[in-house]
Amino acid sequence: MIGFRLSAQKPPEARRITDDVIQRFEHIYEVDPAKMTIIEQQDMPAWDTMRIVDSRWEHLAWMHDHWADTILTAEDLGEGGPHPDG
Amino acid sequence: MTTFVAIRDTVVDKLRAILGDESVLTGKAARYNRTRVPAPFPVHRWAEYVPDLVVLPRTAEQVSEVVKLANRERIPVVPRAGGTGLNDGALPLKRGIVVDIKRMNQIKEVDLVDRTVTVGPGINMLKLNEELRKHNVMFPDDPASYPCSLVGGRIGTSGWSLIGGRYGHTRDLVISFQIVLPTGEIIEVGDGGGRKIRKSSSGFQLKHLFMGHQGTLGIVTEATLELVPRPEMEFAAFFHYPSYTAAWESTGALAKSGLASLGGVVLFDEYKLRYLRRDDEAYIPRPDHVRAVVATALYGTRDEVEPAARRIMRIGRESGGTYLGDEISSGDWASRHDRYATPLHGRLDTGEVVPMSWHCEDASINYSQLPAVMEKWHAITARYAEKTGILDDWGMFAYTNGAYKPWGDYLTEIDIGIWEQQLSDDNWPDWVACKREIAQVALDHGGSITACHGATREGDAELIPVEMGGGFDVMMKIKAALDPNNIMNPGKYELDRAYGLDEKVFR
Repeated sequence: MIGFRLSAQKPPEARRITDDVIQRFEHIYEVDPAKMTIIEQQDMPAWDTMRIVDSRWEHLAWMHDHWADTILTAEDLGEGGPHPDG
Repeated sequence: MTTFVAIRDTVVDKLRAILGDESVLTGKAARYNRTRVPAPFPVHRWAEYVPDLVVLPRTAEQVSEVVKLANRERIPVVPRAGGTGLNDGALPLKRGIVVDIKRMNQIKEVDLVDRTVTVGPGINMLKLNEELRKHNVMFPDDPASYPCSLVGGRIGTSGWSLIGGRYGHTRDLVISFQIVLPTGEIIEVGDGGGRKIRKSSSGFQLKHLFMGHQGTLGIVTEATLELVPRPEMEFAAFFHYPSYTAAWESTGALAKSGLASLGGVVLFDEYKLRYLRRDDEAYIPRPDHVRAVVATALYGTRDEVEPAARRIMRIGRESGGTYLGDEISSGDWASRHDRYATPLHGRLDTGEVVPMSWHCEDASINYSQLPAVMEKWHAITARYAEKTGILDDWGMFAYTNGAYKPWGDYLTEIDIGIWEQQLSDDNWPDWVACKREIAQVALDHGGSITACHGATREGDAELIPVEMGGGFDVMMKIKAALDPNNIMNPGKYELDRAYGLDEKVFR
């Protein structure tokens, strides 16, 4: 950590994905805060969101390694095909 | 009629003499923390189900002495493993003594010649497999609670495994076990005799009698488990479809592929996709044409998995699926081993977010009946959600349910969010009625009301005699013969009827 950086603290502006969901970071979906009045959404610094996401990927990689020596993918087979979001 | 009394100081003294002072817990935190499980619970009546005390034995002999004492004193005894059950098996409905088995977590023997591992019932599968990895073997029992449930609880519920299509389910993977009967005797049960024997024709198949006993017939104190080679390779493929019907047809084609390395096939319905997009921050993409998803996974040697993976891709696409991509397939599959990290919030009909607990209602349903059952279960849930204002339909899964031959019937689940803080004597009966109607649909379609959770509590339990027919009379006779004073987990499975009792468990 080398001092205060605003970009590490303040999340980017949200863009709307659906009536219920917004997005501030790629691949990270959030409940629309407007739908959270009974339980208010917690303010989170950007670095903490990224820490949680990175931890999630580490957990999934650990779980793969726990179950098998090697993970085969369709891309390995030459059958990956286009991503459906594309 | 057996009546229970509060535990006297003299009994506490005797328990301390059996177990040592540090293994008899009477404090409020220790008792409240062992009152409930993840299944929805009448939190407005929490205090009525707190055990009188908790014991933490280390040996079968200690368990035996505790049970003998309880039997003499007519005190209820409820065994508790990980406390992760989605029914009420570990919940002390009549208070009494909770026997927490977490300290019985030793690995007693790894036999690489006859391919078994013998353990205490308090060991967790993830921790066990961390040790077994040193020997390049594993115990492949894989519930959604894999990181936190324990072997004893898996036997108590006769659990279902995510990869049971390849390796079998708990009943197939537990070769034999030791159990303390309600009168304190310690016995070994297996297919016949022989602690490491997988198949026998000697006598009754007692392992299967005690498998799924939900703590009503004794306390498991040791288990001998199957070892399989650690998989060299895993392959997961997720496909999406424009309709539930298309996904259902593809599920059937994939499940009937005949591939020995196929761990399982999972069908996500449209409600589930809507929930995942809305509240689960899942990997499922957003386009509206993605209406249903099917997941598959293969495990085995490289020589098995590579050609099988090509066939899975071909079947998935030829049966109408579009591959969802490597990131979703491998990422989401890894998360399937650990589904107790679900978001604990749901929505009111206004879209407003409220804290909700996860409830999963399960059944075994034949493939042909899945579409009809799905429609009826969602209709029931919608009706009670509107009536109570505290329920949220989180969608349905159907998982292949057969061991080694993953076709024919499916573990079918509907996930329902429930706003427990709003539970009351007014709406609890509505919740119970919702559960009962869901279970009745399973019976109406020739199914079983539970594939792996158990059906111990009101809403399910009163349908057990209907499902079992004359078999329920046999269950009652067995219960009364083995547990003459009804001390083992009383109030479960309607088995109080064996003692002339017919009281409702929850008001």
